[in-house]
Amino acid sequence: MMKFRKKSIGSWVITITMYLLALTWLYPYIWMVMASIKPTTEIFNTSLFSGSFTIENYRFLFDSAEKLNRPFLKSLFNSFFITLSVTASVVITSAFIGYAMAKISFWGRQQMNNFILFQMVVPSMMLMIPLFILIKQLGLINTYSAMILPMMMSGWGIFMMSQAFKGTPNDYIDAAKLDRASLKQIVFNLMIPLNKSIVAIVALFTFTGTWDNFMWPLIVISDVDMMPLSVLLATFSRQYGVYVGPVMAGSVLQALPLVLLFIVFRKYFLQGMSLSLK
Amino acid sequence: MNKIFSNINIKEAHIGGALALSFVLFNVIFWAYPFIWLVILSLSDWRFFDVPTFTGLKNFFIVMEDPEFWRSFWNVIRFLGFYIPIVLACSLAFAFGLQHIGRGKVFIALCFLLAHISSGVAYSLVFTKIFSSTGPLNTFMMDWFGFAIPWLSSPSMAMFSISLVVTWKFVGYYGLILYSGLMAIPKEIYDAAKLDNTPALTRLFRITVPMINSQLIMVLVFAITVAFAIFTEPYMMTGGGPMESTNMPMLVMYETAFSRLQPGRAALMAIIIAVASYVVIRLMRKILEKDVELV
Repeated sequence: MMKFRKKSIGSWVITITMYLLALTWLYPYIWMVMASIKPTTEIFNTSLFSGSFTIENYRFLFDSAEKLNRPFLKSLFNSFFITLSVTASVVITSAFIGYAMAKISFWGRQQMNNFILFQMVVPSMMLMIPLFILIKQLGLINTYSAMILPMMMSGWGIFMMSQAFKGTPNDYIDAAKLDRASLKQIVFNLMIPLNKSIVAIVALFTFTGTWDNFMWPLIVISDVDMMPLSVLLATFSRQYGVYVGPVMAGSVLQALPLVLLFIVFRKYFLQGMSLSLK
Repeated sequence: MNKIFSNINIKEAHIGGALALSFVLFNVIFWAYPFIWLVILSLSDWRFFDVPTFTGLKNFFIVMEDPEFWRSFWNVIRFLGFYIPIVLACSLAFAFGLQHIGRGKVFIALCFLLAHISSGVAYSLVFTKIFSSTGPLNTFMMDWFGFAIPWLSSPSMAMFSISLVVTWKFVGYYGLILYSGLMAIPKEIYDAAKLDNTPALTRLFRITVPMINSQLIMVLVFAITVAFAIFTEPYMMTGGGPMESTNMPMLVMYETAFSRLQPGRAALMAIIIAVASYVVIRLMRKILEKDVELV
């Protein structure tokens, strides 16, 4: 009896500690949001939830930042445009090629499989400088294409989709073919709906990876009008770092889409992360 | 019936081949071509504008004598010296904690994983402010302990602070990996150990750690990869300083290519960094990896 009580007290202590730690882990986010709605002069002088609150920082970011030649609204659009293009492209190409890899036998399939596995181990940073040279030769520096074209297909995406598609019974596909379904119909109306979670995982991780990508756009984009938010925010903070409030407001804008995505699709994020555990 | 299918199959094989070909073509342009350039660049002298001139191993000797480059490798070791103990202890604690929680397990895991999903530029800026000399962390230190810590401005502290930030980011993910390992350990082993009155610490090092060997190795592989590939955090938080104490290989490569305008040397650096990280991971696995079997 005594022992039982002791254990339950112990597990209560652990539970409470874990909740406190979880809140500690959220602290940077909370601080960022609070700092973004305080006047810069008060950020370091007031405790977390006190002080006067304004939306001045956000206004500064969108209005006078234009005068400082930092078009934040445009960069927000750039980020969304680039990220959504890359995500859509990766999902669609991965679905089609993944379907081919999983369900169609064609010459060279095994070699292609090996190549994808090999490619996944080669660190992409190694190719960054020569890829920059290619983009330069193509005359694509300071264009959306520089940030979209090299990321349009993903070996990882194909690998993930083909692994999942292998589990879909061939009977479904044969039935669809008897109904004269085209390849497009098979992929869009059969494979994708049946493997929703893997498609979501590929889409979400591609989205976060592209949104968060910093080094590559930093290299290929120098025109402020073409910069994605991450790079514009970095250059803004380098030059006008004293405007802590606006910098934090920019950080909120940069972090928010990923946070929202994570909260809404937490189930798929958890699934995707535990996929790599096997 | 069969004939229809075999006709379809032949047609299908063509479609499959065409799809595969599109991926091959994509990789010829954006993967193989850069790969060839990587080799050419690393063997030539070039400044982005003129024609590359073949210089053989000259780049190699220059890079080998570049103190900044070597300094960045020393910084990788320093980073790992801070990062691995901290992140292992934290994520093990996280995994153990998660095991003992009844309700709200998912909620807590999500709080930690939110750090993993966040954008590198955003949280680097946030931590720069939190760690700044008048930031909330130092205010807290002054109020409670009466002294402030130069988190990012002192050469001896800056790397430690960066490794704290990276720990903040990865604990949730690493913890989840270790947690999955812990869940796979049969409870009977612990029961048997308890019957033998094995002390808790012995249980940890003789049962738990060997049983989650493969998960620990996975975490270490990730940690070493991060150490060699880290760019955003030092670039945003310290710019490699103070006194080059946080100058990591990726930063040196970036500077060499785009500030010093020596893409050839930078390409060679990229190769050396990739090989070094591969060798370190192989060595680590060779020393620490064990085949654990349940008999």
